[in-house]
Amino acid sequence: MIPLDRYPKEIALRDGARLVFRPMVREDADRLAEFFRMIPPEDKMYLRENVDRLETIEKWAEALDYDAVFPILAFAEERIVGDATLHRNRAGWKQRVGKVRILVSPEFRHRGLGTAMIRELRHLGEKASLRYLMAEVLEEQQIAIRAFEKLGFERMVVYRNFVNDQKGRLHNLVVLAYPMTLSRDELS
Amino acid sequence: MPISRTNCPTCAAELACHFAKAVEGAEEKAVCPYDGLAYRDLRAGHDQIYFGGWRKMDASPGDILRAYNQIERHLRTIGRALGDKDLPAARRDLAMALDALQSGDPREESRDALRFMDHALSYAHRVIDDLLHEMGLPPHSPMDFAEWFNAAEVPFREEW
Repeated sequence: MIPLDRYPKEIALRDGARLVFRPMVREDADRLAEFFRMIPPEDKMYLRENVDRLETIEKWAEALDYDAVFPILAFAEERIVGDATLHRNRAGWKQRVGKVRILVSPEFRHRGLGTAMIRELRHLGEKASLRYLMAEVLEEQQIAIRAFEKLGFERMVVYRNFVNDQKGRLHNLVVLAYPMTLSRDELS
Repeated sequence: MPISRTNCPTCAAELACHFAKAVEGAEEKAVCPYDGLAYRDLRAGHDQIYFGGWRKMDASPGDILRAYNQIERHLRTIGRALGDKDLPAARRDLAMALDALQSGDPREESRDALRFMDHALSYAHRVIDDLLHEMGLPPHSPMDFAEWFNAAEVPFREEW
């Protein structure tokens, strides 16, 4: 069970910027659409859905289900500047594996927000009793990969020429996994 | 203020290296760069080891053993700070730090002692950063304090 009582959570970045983390609610749809408008087209190529369509985001907002997808938004005042999601399966062989996805607006990149969001998702994963967190990152995104590794994610596999962008170019996909806390017995 | 050669009265660091700095416009006096910061004892403890002589090419076996003991004390201090806080990821990292430390005992002629000690310190850093994150604070950056430690090499910094 993911605890909601830690939100809203204030976060300070190293440069002094102050942000607030909190879960997405239905009323955030417009602000989230505005956030995606700030994301450069080349970054949107790697997203799974067409976020330029307001209907896509409205559909997410309508169907919010924290047990399936837990979206944490980073706010700079009223503006969304980061979006981190923890995806879970309710049943099946991957029910103890959470997938994490993080997107940061260009003006907040390289300021430690991505790292803070990984840290937050790691905490949520622990509270959700997951066994592993997984992240998929294009090999070109080396800074993101290093940020994940710095927080304990391990590079599991690199799929060569595995994914394509919207222009059809192929890219290597790096899969990283973070093993969650061991049980008391395992720790002893 | 009398200068202790063993422990800083502010951050509890074991050495007095950061006392050497003079305050601008004043006579040289005791200054602690960690004064006013959250978890200053953990930050200072980390940085003393991070910038310690054991990582230099000409480190003596004595330097390495001393660093090993410092890391052990540092992890105990972190454990006390962690207490019963609900931070499972930090608890896991602390367990891994202790594990790495155990594997890197320089008295047992482990060829990888330095590497394990380095890992232990990295895990310790992660625990400190988790504690800071819970307070809504940015991670601890040792390089912000490098000038107090006479650090010769400054690695590049990157953030995501």
